[in-house]
Amino acid sequence: MSKEAVFMQGNQAMAEAAIRGGCKMFFGYPITPSSEVPEYYARVMVERPEENITYIQAETECSAFNMIAGAAAAGHRSMTATAGPGFSLGQEAMSYMSAAGLPGVVVQIMRPGPADGEILPAQGDYFQITRGGGHGDYYTLALAPWSIQELVEIMQESFVLAEKYNNPVVVVSDAMLAKLRESVVLPDYTDNEAAPEEKHNTLTGAKGRKRHLITTCGFGAVQWNQFNNDLQKKYAEIAANEKRYESYFMDEDPDIVVVAFGAYSRVCLSGVKMAREAGLKVGMIRPISLWPFPDNAFEGLDGKQFLVCELNAGQMVQDVKLSVKNKDDVHFFGMLGGIVPTPKEICAEIQKVEVK
Amino acid sequence: MKLELLFSGIGGQGVMLLGETLCAAAIRAGKKVTFSPFYGQEKRGGRTMCNIVVSDEMESPIISEAKVMLFMDERSLQDYEYMMAEDGVMILNSDTIDIEPTVKCAKVDRVPIYTMAQELGNAKTMNMVALGYVLKYLPEIDYNLVIEEVEKAFARKAKLIPLNVKAVETGYAAAQKAE
Repeated sequence: MSKEAVFMQGNQAMAEAAIRGGCKMFFGYPITPSSEVPEYYARVMVERPEENITYIQAETECSAFNMIAGAAAAGHRSMTATAGPGFSLGQEAMSYMSAAGLPGVVVQIMRPGPADGEILPAQGDYFQITRGGGHGDYYTLALAPWSIQELVEIMQESFVLAEKYNNPVVVVSDAMLAKLRESVVLPDYTDNEAAPEEKHNTLTGAKGRKRHLITTCGFGAVQWNQFNNDLQKKYAEIAANEKRYESYFMDEDPDIVVVAFGAYSRVCLSGVKMAREAGLKVGMIRPISLWPFPDNAFEGLDGKQFLVCELNAGQMVQDVKLSVKNKDDVHFFGMLGGIVPTPKEICAEIQKVEVK
Repeated sequence: MKLELLFSGIGGQGVMLLGETLCAAAIRAGKKVTFSPFYGQEKRGGRTMCNIVVSDEMESPIISEAKVMLFMDERSLQDYEYMMAEDGVMILNSDTIDIEPTVKCAKVDRVPIYTMAQELGNAKTMNMVALGYVLKYLPEIDYNLVIEEVEKAFARKAKLIPLNVKAVETGYAAAQKAE
């Protein structure tokens, strides 16, 4: 780690971390609030030729996502960054990559939908990100950092995870984390990538070895049933290994547990601290992996009241309800349209929760 | 310590650069700093606002109330004055703001930011005049570090550095003279 903290924007710090993490290919289509990422790659391609960057502005996100699939098939790290509308367009490729076992990283920088919507912070794409946003039975590992420091670390790790599981990984950001500037210690260059021919499933020419084919075409129900069962083993392995969360004040036996993710969870934690100063026994759980959802964080918490705070109409709240015994103990506070409640407003919501 | 600030104006007035420069100086003073910008889809003429938090620990980048607020125009004042801390300071650009704040606060400074910038020969320096003035209420942030960050901010347009440094000096001096 280079020690000195720099003052950097979330999108730009993330792009630099990806480059240092060995991702030399970026395919994308500009969309607010993601556009600084392609801009950064384009700039580095010109100003730092030694990085050997390939940057392509695709004609649409459909193409950009398919280019990632192509780069993965050729054994190279690549990524795109987009917002909800672009993420929707990329879902065909995501479904394909997951089925074909192709790694690749997509940064989803959420803004308020549906449709064109707004360019402000939101978390309304939680379902699409965590349920496999395209067709078929599949999932993508989704990690949601809350600070730029965590973002740059997750950004680099996501390439390793994608290659470990041969599956796309979604880094979940939003307009708040993307545009935020704060101190960050940039991670060093990594050296953890295998050569293309040593990676799983890559097409590097069949000279001297057996012909290899990447396909997602079924040859009848029996064969396709088996193919899907094998895929499910992959998702089960990810679910077993990658549940991640952090908890705050949970060792003090709180009556109320706030649950929140992403940059918004920092606002929520400040609200939790205010409520604690006002004498309430409150803790917080912050899921970092949105899929797999860290249901293990809720073990042994029966009888507590849960307040799920999200910038949407109530999406992660469903996963929380699946993780606790008594669904009536789960409450929800949501905000739509791009409005971000202040810590004071979160504190007021916590105070409304009736402790049983 | 924890300092929460809010600056707002019209797109093109340089409120974002003001905030970013201040943050860069605060980081060099060893503080944890967050800068959250809010702006619309317009290139110019839309609303711009930023939340700044300077603290010793990581905090919410979204603030509940601000100890120091700077407003460049009336619309910004009307929109965000509700976030004023009762013991805080409000700085108003008196060249464009005629209305009175409707919230309680410890002090209101009316500063002819636009006139001061114009007298320097370039009205576009009003953000740097304002930056110099704001420092009066931020003793934790060293004046010399701010000047160095202004020089860095204009590094790509080096001929503008002396004018902008002068603008910060002007704002700072005016603040020292004010009550």
